[in-house]
Amino acid sequence: MHFLGSVELLSLSATSFPLLLSRLNFLLFSLSIQEQVLARMRSPFSLKQEFLKKWILGLQRCRSSKKNMSIFKRKKVIKLSADVAMASARKGTTCWSRALIADAVKEGNADKHLAEKILGPASERQPTEKVPVGAMAYNKRIRSKKILKRSSVIRRTIKCAPQAARPSSIVKTLVGKRRQILRSLIPGGEFMNGVSLIEETLDYIISLRAQVDVMRSLASASKLVNLN
Amino acid sequence: MSGRRSGSGVSSISDDQITHLVFKLQQLIPELCARRSLKASASKVLQETCDYIRNLHKEVEDLSDRLSQLLASIDTDNDQAAIVRSLLM
Repeated sequence: MHFLGSVELLSLSATSFPLLLSRLNFLLFSLSIQEQVLARMRSPFSLKQEFLKKWILGLQRCRSSKKNMSIFKRKKVIKLSADVAMASARKGTTCWSRALIADAVKEGNADKHLAEKILGPASERQPTEKVPVGAMAYNKRIRSKKILKRSSVIRRTIKCAPQAARPSSIVKTLVGKRRQILRSLIPGGEFMNGVSLIEETLDYIISLRAQVDVMRSLASASKLVNLN
Repeated sequence: MSGRRSGSGVSSISDDQITHLVFKLQQLIPELCARRSLKASASKVLQETCDYIRNLHKEVEDLSDRLSQLLASIDTDNDQAAIVRSLLM
């Protein structure tokens, strides 16, 4: 509500996209004070700022020589650059972000060239191993295997102690059908298990929310500009 | 298999870890947050998580649609791009 009030006060008369973005950025700064008060995990404002920066970069790289892009193509560019920006804002630190980018530039992907254009020259890109390699991921995989093994042991030995079965019910949930659905929703989910799956889910949801918030703000601001 | 319980210490920590993470997940999801229940069951949290992610995906699609209609052009001039960039850095 406060955001929209500020937009009106600014009496936007510009219809050009970059001017709109600079104004939006100013508004993001003024929002930041409220955001910092409400900030919980990992400073959502800086994530939004990082996302917006990368999104604009990606959009600029898709500047086409032919002035009239079809609305269908434009939508594809906007969505793909937003997803890529959301992923690269994580700077390769999470599995889902690496998987998203890897999928975007995979051979056989119809929009591979578009994704590569958005990502820019190879020198500026983040590392994009598809399967998480390294000590941390290895330990997580071992831990996940232990969780699965323990769950099968529990199921076999505990018969008449329903309270004690509570920890295993959580684990059972994780090996059930719902886990499969969750894995299908998260980029690179098929490589995740147990603890890492939930950690990645948490981060993915936070990033999606930031993406939606920024896109929604831009849509509101654009709509107000078009009304003037 | 029946005698081997050596890993029980490590596994119970992992169980606690998972419980804690699931609780954190619950706090993120507006559906479950509003009800103020102490702890929803893990399966409920997972179910709501999947629904929530699907909703967020749909929102991104819809917003992309709206933005492609609202934005007259996504071409940007060089000097104006520089202004935006300098504001963001």
